[in-house]
Amino acid sequence: MASEKPLSREEFERLAELLGVNGEPAYLDELYSQVRGVYLSADVIKKIDVSGTEPEMAFIPPTD
Amino acid sequence: MDALEICYMSAGNLSKLVEKKEVSPVEIIDAHLARIEATEPVLNSFITLLAEESRTAARQAEKDIQAGRYKGPLHGIPVGLKDLYNTAGVRTTSGSKIFDNFIPEEDCTVAAKFHQAGAILLGKLNMHQFAYGPTGENPDYGHMHNPWDPDRVTGGSSGGSGSAAAAGQCTITTGSDTGGSIRIPAALCGIVGLKPTYGLVSRWGLTALSWSLDHPGPMVRTVEDAAITMNVIAGHDPKDVASAKVEIPDYTTALTGDVKGLRIGMPKEYFDAPLDPQVRKAVLDAISLLESMGAEVKEVSFPMFEQSQAISSTVLMAEATAYHRDLLEKDGHQLYEPVRHRLQAGLFISAADYLRAQQARTLLDQEGRRLLDDVDLLAGPTEPVTAPEILAARVLAGEQEIGVVGALTQYTRPYNINGFPAMSVPCGFSDTGLPIGLQLAGKPFDELTVLRAAHAYEQATDWHTRRPPL
Repeated sequence: MASEKPLSREEFERLAELLGVNGEPAYLDELYSQVRGVYLSADVIKKIDVSGTEPEMAFIPPTD
Repeated sequence: MDALEICYMSAGNLSKLVEKKEVSPVEIIDAHLARIEATEPVLNSFITLLAEESRTAARQAEKDIQAGRYKGPLHGIPVGLKDLYNTAGVRTTSGSKIFDNFIPEEDCTVAAKFHQAGAILLGKLNMHQFAYGPTGENPDYGHMHNPWDPDRVTGGSSGGSGSAAAAGQCTITTGSDTGGSIRIPAALCGIVGLKPTYGLVSRWGLTALSWSLDHPGPMVRTVEDAAITMNVIAGHDPKDVASAKVEIPDYTTALTGDVKGLRIGMPKEYFDAPLDPQVRKAVLDAISLLESMGAEVKEVSFPMFEQSQAISSTVLMAEATAYHRDLLEKDGHQLYEPVRHRLQAGLFISAADYLRAQQARTLLDQEGRRLLDDVDLLAGPTEPVTAPEILAARVLAGEQEIGVVGALTQYTRPYNINGFPAMSVPCGFSDTGLPIGLQLAGKPFDELTVLRAAHAYEQATDWHTRRPPL
């Protein structure tokens, strides 16, 4: 879902509806701000070259 | 012995007196209960206080010790657990009224280990709701207040643990650290907080925030007490799927006071980030002191520090939402609004973005390991600022005004991502009397080196001996 283009309010509202998220306008304003943060983080990560890298095996702690 | 002196005595010193029968567990518990009665109206550290239960346990401990059944350094010592550690027969709320009546049938592994060691559970400590925030806000049980200035946050999420240890309400407390929740309140309250290596202390029986980032650990007033506590709580637990099978050393052997030849790296990126000048000076002075004591200090580069917030928040939010999804759907309306926002925002993270964050996490882990091939420890600030005011949204870090959540987790998140041990130790105070923390991080499962440096620094300074004006 990450995109270089900032998430518009309309796109946010469409996604929120699909995800079953609703609330008063003031509540959704704050949530929109949080979700934009999620997208900004995704964009930061998208710029990292992860080619050839496997995801961290989080549940197998290293023992060395 | 004066009751206040008992309350501020370390477990290391108190246990010697208990073993010699010069102080009884009953005297210790009574002193702490009086201290709690005097300070709790200001601090609000506890969600559940076990006054009668702890007195009963103290009487039993006294009998056992008198009869020659001394169990070791935590026998008769008061312990407070963050209220997401399950305790058999004692309610465990995770900081939410949704679980106000939840009484676990079993102790979590850490609580069971404390019990076996003879420690006395004094109560369950206040926390940011579901551990999902770094400030110590809690509308259900009341906000936590910093002992050094009650208008300011304790830090979170283990805020009650920070205030209880700092104010002499409890000798040993515990926290859990997903993005800094042990080290943040430790730094802001002026105590010692150790986030052990991922997998070293069992997570079994703790309410999760993020399975792959959660680390339980000690929050205490001295480095020795962190080592003593680790001797009790570290170790493999087959009930925890992420528990590591490693040999557990005697952590107190690290307390030599000697740092000669220890190689300390200072990531230059830490000092390019927004940073309060008084914090910068205190941390640089601390590192210089370690150098004057014989450590070799050099500047290093940790480029992925810049992306650590994005990686950590993506992994954390996705896992937290997955863990709490049923709760969100069923009882979302009862959640503290900022917590509900964060949980709902996690719904917007795709599986592909989560896994890309986990790929980036692998790279950050590899970069950290390469760095620690050349040095034994990484040193820097725990926090870029001192404790912000309660409910402040933004804070000034040097010349930049930044969001409080981002600021408080700025330096702590990288070590949740790679799981390396990291510790905050007091290293000074601001002009306004607020504590400052030095963060030391080491190689996976090399807590001994982290403790060694932290202890040597602590012994060369007096920051840990200062008491809040309560």
